[in-house]
Amino acid sequence: MESLSDTNWDVVISGTGLQQSLLALALSRSGKNVLHVDPNDFYGAAEAAFSLQEADEWAGKNRDEPTLTPSIFAAAEVTKPATVGERGLSFPRAYSLALAPQIIHTKSELLSQLVSSKAFRQVEFLAVGSFYIFQPSSSSSSEASTQPSLSRIPSTREDVFASTAIPTRAKRSLMKFLKFVLEYDAEPQTEAWKARAGEPLVEFLASEFKLDERLRADVMTLTLSLDGAISVGAGLAAIHRHMTSMGLFGAGFAAVYPKWGGLSEVAQVGCRAGAVGGAVYMLGTGVTDVQKTEEERNLDPELPLGISLSNGISIRAKTLVQPAQLQTGGGDAVSLSRLTAIVSSDMSSVFEAMMDGAPTPAVAVVAFPPGCISTDGQESSKFPIYAMLHSSDTGECPTGQCVVYLSTLSTPTSKTILEKALSSLLAAVTDSDSERPTVLYKLSYEQTSGSSTSVNVDGAVVDLPPLPLDLAFNDAVMGQVRAAWDAVTKCDEPDGSVQYMKFEDREGAVDDDNFD
Amino acid sequence: MARHGIARDTRLRTEEEREFELGVISRYRSLEDQVRQKAKQKDYGQDTFQLTSKLLQRNPEYYTVWNIRRRCVISGFASRPSDGSCPSKASSSSSPTATPLPSSDAPLPESSAETPQSRDSQTAGRSGTTHDVDGGKPSRQSWEDDLEVFKSELHFTVPLLLQFPKCYWIWNYRLWTLNQAIERLPARVATKVWEEELGLVNKMLHKDPRNFHAWGYRRYVVDRLESSELAGKSLAEPELEYTAQMVRKDLSNFSAWHHRSQLIPRVLREREASDDDRRKFLESELALIREALNVGPEDQSLWFYHQFLISNLVESPGPQTIAPTLTEDERKTYIRQEIDEIEDLLEDYGDIKWIYEALIQCTLAVSQLGDRVVPKDLTSWLRKLRDLDPQRSGRWADLESQLAAI
Repeated sequence: MESLSDTNWDVVISGTGLQQSLLALALSRSGKNVLHVDPNDFYGAAEAAFSLQEADEWAGKNRDEPTLTPSIFAAAEVTKPATVGERGLSFPRAYSLALAPQIIHTKSELLSQLVSSKAFRQVEFLAVGSFYIFQPSSSSSSEASTQPSLSRIPSTREDVFASTAIPTRAKRSLMKFLKFVLEYDAEPQTEAWKARAGEPLVEFLASEFKLDERLRADVMTLTLSLDGAISVGAGLAAIHRHMTSMGLFGAGFAAVYPKWGGLSEVAQVGCRAGAVGGAVYMLGTGVTDVQKTEEERNLDPELPLGISLSNGISIRAKTLVQPAQLQTGGGDAVSLSRLTAIVSSDMSSVFEAMMDGAPTPAVAVVAFPPGCISTDGQESSKFPIYAMLHSSDTGECPTGQCVVYLSTLSTPTSKTILEKALSSLLAAVTDSDSERPTVLYKLSYEQTSGSSTSVNVDGAVVDLPPLPLDLAFNDAVMGQVRAAWDAVTKCDEPDGSVQYMKFEDREGAVDDDNFD
Repeated sequence: MARHGIARDTRLRTEEEREFELGVISRYRSLEDQVRQKAKQKDYGQDTFQLTSKLLQRNPEYYTVWNIRRRCVISGFASRPSDGSCPSKASSSSSPTATPLPSSDAPLPESSAETPQSRDSQTAGRSGTTHDVDGGKPSRQSWEDDLEVFKSELHFTVPLLLQFPKCYWIWNYRLWTLNQAIERLPARVATKVWEEELGLVNKMLHKDPRNFHAWGYRRYVVDRLESSELAGKSLAEPELEYTAQMVRKDLSNFSAWHHRSQLIPRVLREREASDDDRRKFLESELALIREALNVGPEDQSLWFYHQFLISNLVESPGPQTIAPTLTEDERKTYIRQEIDEIEDLLEDYGDIKWIYEALIQCTLAVSQLGDRVVPKDLTSWLRKLRDLDPQRSGRWADLESQLAAI
């Protein structure tokens, strides 16, 4: 058996994040010598999901403030409010907290590639249900203050029909907009917006469709825009994706979420496929140095890269795929504040099935439009806040509890704002005569995504940008994986029949895929 | 379904494929010969029954063979008291313990409270006797065995229906089995079987909510369930609720709106609705369809239902009329109100022809009741109709002449 340094590696992949793991899946039938390493002792890199113990350890390692080290995560902190009687935390492995949870629209290219590569069977997908808007409590002097509440966002004609909160004329305006979006990419709709594609969507909704503030907030939530300032072009595309995804895999839902921790499951499936295809996996091992000097290349033109691993071994490879160096301080860098909380209630009212015969959702999305949350110092939230609520059906926590993932763009007060949003959310889901659920565990941290969004190929080295900080999976990622695959397979004989991510079942298993 | 629009495969068969197909044909012919031979000899025993299963699985359109199977089942009933065996034990399908039909997730109408008891007595008899033939209690055993036969026959048709959903002979056999169940089983047991059938219909409508065959079949099943031979209770209220659920799921469901319109007179009768109740019911239906038209004015199904309500107001009071005691003035007021509401839609939906057509129909309707006031925008509505749908100019000319007579 050849040792690592004796093997002529076709591809060395550094990091087991989503893109790298999908690349491993794409290469799993190629017969190439693939070495896939990750300096962490877990799979998934920035998309990983942790047990409580792993989360504590991870937080310890990522405690530093963002300015000190250029890393994706910073300022991590775990808080465990004093245990409350018997209803406390369960054992650590009963939890699987996702670092960067994303929902996946049913139309997404990710799902169709998982199907065509036959990898989808290893992932269990759960339905993502209603999107809600947080309504702050109103407390005018003339009436008793009302509870804060959540109101469901209508996204289909039947939703609008059933809503009792929208006035008659406003319903018609909303319907006009929804019909417009469904055909937004065709004439004559394009005439209405193409010239204004770069303008803020929120203004377009007011001027072209006369949507009132409430409906504008509803529509903006469907875009999941982080800064609330998404452009007309990008915004219409996002809403179109949401609406055309509705009902694709079954009544009542437009997106899915992988059980047991989201994208980390998909990453693990990709790595597993890679391993079955012969790739060698090494966790706890990183790439420390890459030599591609002319001298080295002359030694063996077929294997231009000399790579040193953190375990002291040096290897030779044809190509290397690695995460791009993070450049902080760049103008386009995005930074999110995150707060993950384990809550002692199943919040079942939020996870009700949309209609008879629809699957019970496991994820719900709640948006807090800008300005509805304020710190005690009366500073109100500048950007939207999003809360992804995951029920125990996701496998991320035991029954009777939920995980709430809050995020908002980083500002000096964003951490406090998220804390306030969490308590407002819990107030909103509690009836006036019930006890408010308690928070059992909190993990807060900052996450930064670098400014590059494209794959950079420099000779034999391919740099992959980090996953974008979107709340819904961005199909551009699939293009990145394809670009990396093209780069590492370019030296192969051009063969028109090479299939990308299209495989047959290995053992000729019966194809029983059934999405109804 | 799966068979529409698929071109025939005209590629040449390989020699292998040809041989294989010849084998299939000869096995089929041999089966067919055996079955017909047995029938000629009037042998309707277990072997024949087994053979019909095999043959029908290959060709469910062979209705003569379904008839032979029927004779086997009936002769099984006739022969049981003497030898205790029944076709169900020989059949290729489920085990004797009641296998639930692939139907009952959907909400079922209430059945009589006695039914659960009969289930218990099936699996473990009161005094511990199970399915062994017990000469001392023939009457209870025979209907239990009959139930097994019916369940197993219904079960037999299911995979065939999945493959050949439009084959009338399979449906006929299913209906025959269900009707046999009414003849041979105690009412409460037969009711349960038919309720499961309604569950099957629910599943079909969930998959294809506008399949009018399924809706027609639903009406038939509900009708039987309501008859004195079965539960004998009206299902009009739960059916009304079902139509509400279906339109909430999809406003365009014409079949659901139609079903609703059929149920209304009976529901009102059963509720023993007073004049006031009836008036309120009419108002709530008008409000319902108005809400729907508000978000879906381009949907013809909704306008049909609106038209149904208007006709109900215009026609001379009869058993189908929702609020027969309304005075002529009151009816005119309702229709004029509708004209106002529909005109309101024009503020936001200027180019939908149904709106203009509905306005003209309502104007004609109210004139039938003696109201001679002509709306001022009548000519512009007609003009709009001609613009939006020039192909039907003949029809619009017709309407114009009707209007001229006002």
